[in-house]
Amino acid sequence: MRPVSSLSLSPSVKVRLVSAGFRFTSDLRGLKPLQLSKEASLSQPEALEVLQTVRRVVGGDEGGGGASASLTALELLQKEEEELRSIVTFSSQLDAALGGGLPVGKTIEICGAPGVGKTQLCLQLAVDVQVPSCFGGVGGQMVYIDTEGSFLLQRVVDIATAGVRHCSLLAEDDEQRVAMETFTVETILSNMFLVRCHDYVELLAELHLLPGFLSAHPRVRLLVIDSVAFVFRRLFDDLSQRTRLLNDLAQQLIAMATRHKMAVVITNQMTTRLRGGQSQLVPALGESWGHAPAIRLLLHWVGPQRMAAIFKSPAHMDSTIQYQITSEGFRDANQCEQPQSKRPRRHTNQPAASQRVTSC
Amino acid sequence: MDWHQLDLSPRITAAVRRAKLKCVQDVLCVSGLDLQRLTGLSRSDVQQLITAAATACRPHPPVPALLLHRGECRRLESGLRLSVGCPVLDELLRGGLPVGGVTELSGESGAGKTQLALQLCLSVQYPTQHGGLNSGAVYICTEDVFPSSRLQQLISDQSCLRSDVPPTLISRLQFSDHVYIEHTADLESLQVCLSRRVPLLLARGAVRLLVVDSVAALFRCEFQASDWLERTKQLLSFSSTLHHLSQEFNTPVLCINQVTDVFNSSDDTLGPLSSNVSPALGLAWANQVMVRLMMRRLQETVARGNQRSALRRLEVVFAPHLARDGRDAAVWREGVRGLTGSECTDVQH
Repeated sequence: MRPVSSLSLSPSVKVRLVSAGFRFTSDLRGLKPLQLSKEASLSQPEALEVLQTVRRVVGGDEGGGGASASLTALELLQKEEEELRSIVTFSSQLDAALGGGLPVGKTIEICGAPGVGKTQLCLQLAVDVQVPSCFGGVGGQMVYIDTEGSFLLQRVVDIATAGVRHCSLLAEDDEQRVAMETFTVETILSNMFLVRCHDYVELLAELHLLPGFLSAHPRVRLLVIDSVAFVFRRLFDDLSQRTRLLNDLAQQLIAMATRHKMAVVITNQMTTRLRGGQSQLVPALGESWGHAPAIRLLLHWVGPQRMAAIFKSPAHMDSTIQYQITSEGFRDANQCEQPQSKRPRRHTNQPAASQRVTSC
Repeated sequence: MDWHQLDLSPRITAAVRRAKLKCVQDVLCVSGLDLQRLTGLSRSDVQQLITAAATACRPHPPVPALLLHRGECRRLESGLRLSVGCPVLDELLRGGLPVGGVTELSGESGAGKTQLALQLCLSVQYPTQHGGLNSGAVYICTEDVFPSSRLQQLISDQSCLRSDVPPTLISRLQFSDHVYIEHTADLESLQVCLSRRVPLLLARGAVRLLVVDSVAALFRCEFQASDWLERTKQLLSFSSTLHHLSQEFNTPVLCINQVTDVFNSSDDTLGPLSSNVSPALGLAWANQVMVRLMMRRLQETVARGNQRSALRRLEVVFAPHLARDGRDAAVWREGVRGLTGSECTDVQH
């Protein structure tokens, strides 16, 4: 029972419906388009659109019929374990801190000062998402939106080559050896789709067109935007407009993450905030942007060491791990020589952590 | 914006005109509901409008990185690098300066930054098979007068520095004709230069390297401490212009920066420092830079024949494709040369 004025229709149509006496959605139930167009003096396509909107809205609210049936939390957990696997990285400490890897279906923000390794982590994830499922990976494709021009092919090839070498050292049974034939540097590069956006209008345009691309490429499991801050921090005289655009952007990204079952990784810069005479380093783009991503990772230096701190996450504790950037990519600090075996998680009643075989 | 160019029904085009929406930006920066209210169109019509506007803005779909690797997508990455003119330093930079971003070179006075910049102005003029870009350079001086006598000296000794290039090729190149020099004493003239004269030279293909020596000079002296908000705005506007030029014309941009002393060594925001100085202009500028290089002047000297030079070190502070590493170098009559392993032993303390 919703008032007609709250539906997402054009204002002139709503005025005509209300003046014809249809004030609530219950008044429109059971009508044929021809009847509605006569009574409310609408055109046929307009009447059809009204009835479709009502059907969709009513179906969602009352949970009766249609695609949007309600789920119990247990069903959701089972769905998550089967369908939404996490993206394992080559850094076991980061995987452990995130509870198995980068979760698919959520938005993750990576912030840090320049040079600390945000782009390196993004490039590493771009390769990690493609690791075949028999190695514990997701085996998906990815889209990389580059706004700074830091997607340099030399580095991508380095990381891809190291990833292939790491997996080929782990290949133990026939299934894995067969998978390695399709996991080469060339196939990794062919599954990475690159877009360059030079300003925020191009970025917004690209995000409007992306759902169409994702429907055509259902294997995409990761979207990286490196970085949102670069295009949104320039030339913005009207900060309220910027906040509004960022909120819209955040909603779009969250919707895309859930609908297309992919992880969305966004990179952010740091800025100084003065508070009571003290200056503090905080993520850029403002306070309201901080609510948008589900998980926030802060990369920072502690002396000569690089640390990654998880400072917002609904499912995990705040923790800090140490990492290093090597010629192979984003790795654990104090990495031991023997690569760790990663077995895929099978759906059982045991918690996932005990399934993983680690040797080090 | 000619709305007829987009593939929209006349009803939508008329509504857009009535709502006085002038360009694609107006359509994309407004939410769907606001657009419905402005134009009086229904939801599906507004979706069509947004999709058409977005397609006009982004004519190319996402491209697989494999095409870039094979060199089939020049639009996105050419893989070109601008050689510095010395094989040791090129090895540090994995080929040279990347062509599509802003590279910063900072260091104390006398470290050799201007020397390296002058050397790049000459190496850009060589053909691509010798690490150049077959074009000239624009050198914008903001503090000192351009060292033209030093440039002449470097030109006359090019065959000594570039032993990998056939001497006939070197003698055929008219180096001084292709280095365009601009002096800008304040921010306003710098903006004018970057928005009028430099794009003309780039569009004509006369230059493919832009050097700004130095960025710090204008931004440090023109603003009081309390004007830091205005300074940041101007800095962002300036770097935005540089990026735009770099990407539109596929041109490397080299910015020379000064350094500032670091008092509180526990402030490791930007990583461990190899000396007690850090690049000027702070975090706001550091966020705009893709490759950050630092040149240091050390205490030792190195001798070669009858020449002596203070030892320098060129370091990579951060870059997307380079490791944090450095190479020893020296400044000779023919230019800046990295020292190979055997030469390093000739260093005297």
